Amino acid sequence: MNFALTEDQEMLRDEIVHFARQELNKDIIERDRNQQFPRDLWLKCGEMGLQGLPVPEEYGGAGLDALSTAIAIEALGYGCEDGGLSFSICAHLLACVIPIMNHGTEEQKRKYLPKLCSGELIAVNAMSEPGTGSDAFNMKTRAIKEEGGYRVNGTKIWSTNGPVADIALLYAVTDPGKGISGSTSAFIVEKETPGFSPGQKFEKMGLRTSPIGEMVFEDMLVPESALLGGEGAGFVLFNQSMEWERVCIGAKHCGTMRRLMEKSVSYSKERESFGQPISKYEAVSNKIADMKMRLEGARLLTYQGATRLDKARDVAIDASMTKIFVSEALVQTALDTVQIYGGNGFTTDYEVERTLRDSIGGKIYSGTNEIQKKILGNWLGL
Amino acid sequence: MILIISDIQEGKLRSVNAEVYTAAVALGKETGQPVATVLLGASGLKELAATAGNYGVEKAIVVEDAGLAPFSPDAYAAAIAHVIRETGASVVLMGATFTGKDVMPRVAQHLDVALVQDVINVRDEGGLVFTRPMYAGKVHADVRVQTSPALATIRPKSYKPAEQAADVAVEPMSVSVPAAKVQVVAYEGSSNGKLDVTEADIIVSGGRGMQGADKWGMLEELADLLGAATGCSRPVSDDGWRPHEEHIGQTGKTVSPDLYIACGISGAIQHVAGVSSSKFIVAVNKDPEAPIFKVADYGIVGDVFDVVPVITEEIRKVKG
Amino acid sequence: MNIAVCIKQTPDTTTRIQVADGGGEIVDDGIQWIISPYDEFAIEEALKLTEANGGEVTIVSMGPARVEKTIREALAMGAQKAIRIDCESIPNDPGVTAKVLAEVLRGRGFDLIFTGRQAIDGDQAQVPGRLAHLLDWACVSVVIDLAIDGDKGTALREVEGGSERVHFTMPAVIGANRHLNEPRYRNMRGIMKAKRIPIEVVQVDAPAPQLEITSYSYPPQKGERKLFENGASDVAEVVRLLREEAQVI
Repeated sequence: MNFALTEDQEMLRDEIVHFARQELNKDIIERDRNQQFPRDLWLKCGEMGLQGLPVPEEYGGAGLDALSTAIAIEALGYGCEDGGLSFSICAHLLACVIPIMNHGTEEQKRKYLPKLCSGELIAVNAMSEPGTGSDAFNMKTRAIKEEGGYRVNGTKIWSTNGPVADIALLYAVTDPGKGISGSTSAFIVEKETPGFSPGQKFEKMGLRTSPIGEMVFEDMLVPESALLGGEGAGFVLFNQSMEWERVCIGAKHCGTMRRLMEKSVSYSKERESFGQPISKYEAVSNKIADMKMRLEGARLLTYQGATRLDKARDVAIDASMTKIFVSEALVQTALDTVQIYGGNGFTTDYEVERTLRDSIGGKIYSGTNEIQKKILGNWLGL
Repeated sequence: MILIISDIQEGKLRSVNAEVYTAAVALGKETGQPVATVLLGASGLKELAATAGNYGVEKAIVVEDAGLAPFSPDAYAAAIAHVIRETGASVVLMGATFTGKDVMPRVAQHLDVALVQDVINVRDEGGLVFTRPMYAGKVHADVRVQTSPALATIRPKSYKPAEQAADVAVEPMSVSVPAAKVQVVAYEGSSNGKLDVTEADIIVSGGRGMQGADKWGMLEELADLLGAATGCSRPVSDDGWRPHEEHIGQTGKTVSPDLYIACGISGAIQHVAGVSSSKFIVAVNKDPEAPIFKVADYGIVGDVFDVVPVITEEIRKVKG
Repeated sequence: MNIAVCIKQTPDTTTRIQVADGGGEIVDDGIQWIISPYDEFAIEEALKLTEANGGEVTIVSMGPARVEKTIREALAMGAQKAIRIDCESIPNDPGVTAKVLAEVLRGRGFDLIFTGRQAIDGDQAQVPGRLAHLLDWACVSVVIDLAIDGDKGTALREVEGGSERVHFTMPAVIGANRHLNEPRYRNMRGIMKAKRIPIEVVQVDAPAPQLEITSYSYPPQKGERKLFENGASDVAEVVRLLREEAQVI
């Protein structure tokens, strides 16, 4: 077991941090306030290669292995203070680009991956529905086979990138008789397709620069060539993409925790009360010591999960554990950071309350932590 | 012989020459060697030679050749190498200006000898020892040279010019000037004729704490009053608040003024390195922990916007 | 247009340089090595020129195996080839460096050679001029703007208080300064590609150095520092001291 990063992992980490700090953090308070998605920065991230990290070079990606991908995303989480932007990149990459990379036909890969990697196209994963979140496969959206393809009707919500997306990875029931593992299919749908319309955009407490919304599909005819991974592959495809999300968004959280910890260290050494820096009080230093432990534990779990993603087997449990542990570690770290900053931390200008707001979602998206624990319980035979 | 290459710009001797003459004359006394300077150009140089005499230089070699205008660093280097060979000089000094630092490496390679750039002190300790900053001034190095002649450029503001009259014997010399590969066709001043930070006795410098380009008026007012140049830290030039030629620090200019006034500069290590050879540093910063105070001779803890106008006012009083 | 870019591995600008006990050398341990920052402007300019005119960019660096990491960082910006000139330690006599570079680069068909205006460790600013002389090429140093047109070029070089417009003939050695361009980020594809580029290792007999650094020291500490904590109300006293004690105004 070797815990050292390779030279190229170090290089990509350092360069992403440098890039993110230089390019992605300007005007973030305003953007967050106005819920603005920064398309220009999205494109810069595309030039950096962030939207195509593990995609083979022949399709416009960088061809990174899963662990290197996680390390790159961790660097983004560390350097980029725009949690919404980095979340949008993760959603696009992990839940749309990677399924196409893993399951697309040669034609689909040639058609979509280069533009998805460069950032020219933005993708949305259209899965959740008004009545179904964690029980995702209870969906109502139907795709009925007919002459020339499938006729789709249904409504999706909480679709990250939905309001700005160019293509959707849409999940719909194709054969309700086949049970949960075979009933659902995935389709690559272009936004120009008649019958595809974005619905309302939601306002939310955190990740405000990442647009999230509703998507309405009304009598939309999609050709058979839009099927990803064949009819009935939706279950496998979706679960795989969630494994990537749970691990790699965990990596992003690790980066964010490192940033918060470093901020807490420097703030507590500068801020004085009763004639000494507050870092000298154990009530404060213990909080930061805990941050360090949580970060290192979270990172180990994340890296372990990431090394298993490449094998694409038995990663579900690692992904669930990573997801729970890391998202909770992040919320606690963000809460403690605000507490250490005291009154300043409660104000917008000190830029720690935003990260706290951004962190809360981590316990909810990609399958709530409660559902992850259920998965773990089932696996343990409980 | 100690030979000084006089640095002439637009028909005038640059201010650094007086400093280099002074250094050379002192070294000449220390080592018992005669001191001469060479002036090169197309014409009109004899009038400039007298200036060298004001600082104790006894001989001026004048090389006038039409091939030396417009200025060409390679043609100059060839001519200088010729003069060095002809005179048998053992030490050759020039100001470490942009021109000096560009020409002298070529001269050194013509002669295949050593060159020490940006020297702040030269002395005889059983052989010449040149002290020069490295790592932008984070450390100083003592350098010995194994070749004769030894070539060096002297960093501006390292020697205080000492006037001492001498009769200058002017001696023309003709050289063959090769065709130029590089020619300077125009000088484009971008700072409206203001003093460059590397040549200024006093620098008034501003950092991020100045909050914006529009706040520089008060620094310029203070600089005008003191006859100072204005400088800035890297973030300021990166953000375009000030022109890049004012950027002082490890990847900008290194300066050695008599007085450096740092306003709203926190004192990042790269900046501090670039000002470390200043003779006297005054810093104004509202954060008493700012690292700039560790290098400042006088630190004033306070808001620059309160303190700087008062500095201007007080200096105006004492200057009458 | 084939271009060589000579780069140097130097300590990061944030490094606190430590002099070894006795002053004989600089302590290497714990140094974070980077590409000398001016060299990044050189690489960027070379990449832009080959992107516009065709041709390849070759990264050249002198030093022990340690510098290959820095060479890879340069390759990751998009250069195609690399040469490491093997030596135990990077020479601190720029005359040696220039002679070795001239020997390695001569006859390889380069049209242009870039360097940084100076490396940020030695701050010598000698290699471009010496190298050009050895190759009998033109040289322009401290360049902030550059245009090449066939066998001629125009450059702006920084000087005191402004810039000089310079005409030169090709081939040429160009010393790049900050503001020549905005160096690109190393993107992920570039980093992965750089991994696969073979680095040619060249052995050269280095000539004897002509200068010797006999000792290193920290800049002399100055007199007592005074901190005035009352802001504007202390200014009158500071000005008096500047005039009467420091005698600088």
